[in-house]
Amino acid sequence: MGETLDLTVDLGRGLRLRSPVLVASGTFGYGFDAPHVDRAVLGAIVTKGTTLRSREGNAPNRIAETPSGMLNAIGLQNPGVDQVVRAYAPVWASWDVPVIVNVAGDSVDEYVAVARRLDGVPGIAGLELNISCPNVSDGLQFGVDARRAAQLTHAVRAATGLPLLVKLTPNVTDIVDIARAVEGAGADAISAINTLVGMAIDVRRRRPILSRGSGGVSGPAIKPLALHAVWQVATEVRIPVIGIGGIMTAADALEFLLAGAAALQLGTVNYIRPQAAREVHDGIVGYLQEHGFHDLNAVPIRSASVLTHA
Amino acid sequence: MVEPGLISSSPSGGGQGGGAVVVERSIPIAGAVELVVHHPPSAVAVNPGQFFQLAVDAPHTILRRPYSAAWSDPASGRIGFIFNVVGAGSAWLSVRQEGNEVDLLGPLGRGFDLEGERPAVCVAGGLGVAVFPGVVRALLTRGRTVTMLQGARTAAQLLPADRFPGANVRMATDDGSAGHRGSVLTLFPRPFTGEGQGGGLDIFACGPTPMLQALIDAARRQDIPLSAIQVALETPMGCGVGTCLGCAAPRLEGGYLLTCQDGPCVRADRVDWGRMTDAFHG
Repeated sequence: MGETLDLTVDLGRGLRLRSPVLVASGTFGYGFDAPHVDRAVLGAIVTKGTTLRSREGNAPNRIAETPSGMLNAIGLQNPGVDQVVRAYAPVWASWDVPVIVNVAGDSVDEYVAVARRLDGVPGIAGLELNISCPNVSDGLQFGVDARRAAQLTHAVRAATGLPLLVKLTPNVTDIVDIARAVEGAGADAISAINTLVGMAIDVRRRRPILSRGSGGVSGPAIKPLALHAVWQVATEVRIPVIGIGGIMTAADALEFLLAGAAALQLGTVNYIRPQAAREVHDGIVGYLQEHGFHDLNAVPIRSASVLTHA
Repeated sequence: MVEPGLISSSPSGGGQGGGAVVVERSIPIAGAVELVVHHPPSAVAVNPGQFFQLAVDAPHTILRRPYSAAWSDPASGRIGFIFNVVGAGSAWLSVRQEGNEVDLLGPLGRGFDLEGERPAVCVAGGLGVAVFPGVVRALLTRGRTVTMLQGARTAAQLLPADRFPGANVRMATDDGSAGHRGSVLTLFPRPFTGEGQGGGLDIFACGPTPMLQALIDAARRQDIPLSAIQVALETPMGCGVGTCLGCAAPRLEGGYLLTCQDGPCVRADRVDWGRMTDAFHG
């Protein structure tokens, strides 16, 4: 490989990742169920959305394939934060890849309680606030209102010293408003985007395929929308943006980096190609080498503001 | 959990070339295709009732398709998959030809618990029969007596009896075009506990949810313990390894089982049959 490349990413508050390739919440469990994924290339693992108490999740059907994508409405099935702290974190503490816990809740108090419980626990490298789950009642209540998004971020910021990512929903009029609000309230980084609300109907049975009627669309179908959202947000905030949305290949990942993302999360592709993280990682390395860059952060056209007028 | 060494990847999967190659393709029953794949690690590792996730490269599809192994033969390194052609993904897989590589992820999930000495009755409805050639063979290998009860809409959808050598095979069709006219459940020995046969029967079942529910109802009426019945569940599936939580099936004590991790083969007393819905096939 010749000289070493610097792929490190600084997400702030001491969270430095060795690689810009992360795995997205809900697509990797708590890191234990996908041993066929090469963890060595991952910058971090983001866990399934975790709430104060365990949740059963939604009735089936929870998923459906849609053109170049899929719908899901899992409903935040998770074992609750105590199980995460007691059973999972001690294992993560021995891993060489940081684990970021995705945090969800119904109220500011619940988010804060989960954040407090996770604060200072060895093995937990950061939090990602899920203010964008479309699949539980009121899951979007904080994510679609800049004022409430800021209040929640501020409250959680005050409750933990952990690096704090906030994951935004695209189901809003202006995602930049929300991004600015959470940045102002103390977020260290922004993850964008969560799924888009959608649905599919079983014409034979004349009813929605998903038990909840609607769900979140992910996969390559949403990539152009995600890319544009990342571009918009990265232009307007100073904190790092982690690009998410339909990334299947290294070429997709590079688009997000060039749109201004500091790092990426792979989601739906984890269900399909266990080797995707390795391919994306190696593809980014290959691109940097081919173009003579030694440092991911030195790629000169990474900034959206530069690209905007190119 | 998946062993890293058991993953085979084709160029369409973007991968390392694991060398799972189609060696035979046939149409065993109307509307279905059987692909025989040569992949010794999979053929050796799979237990009857386990499944694989097969990658699909059809336009606009993305998810893998979960198919139970119909049978496997470790000696020849072959493994068979029988699946209905119901949508773009299965249609794409159905036209793989001899020499084409396929991208297998697996074997995944839990197979049937085949141990025991009681006579075994296998109950298949529709394409649920796809899992049974290997199950029947494995039960016979263990010295068990096997009755294979197979039901379908019509004669063309029945897997021929010679796919179950050594078993007592009985058929039923909805239209009476072959075997008994009516539900596969009417083929059951009565009472189907087989009382007086030395401790009853073990039942292995796979088929549409209404058929499984009818089986459970019949068992309850006759005081058969549901623990004597194992079912291969079928639900929509995303990842197949336990990360997406998409393949939920209602659990008796509340909450959900994951078909991919807790199943697909589970004892019937673990499932809340009242909340079980029929899988969507699209």
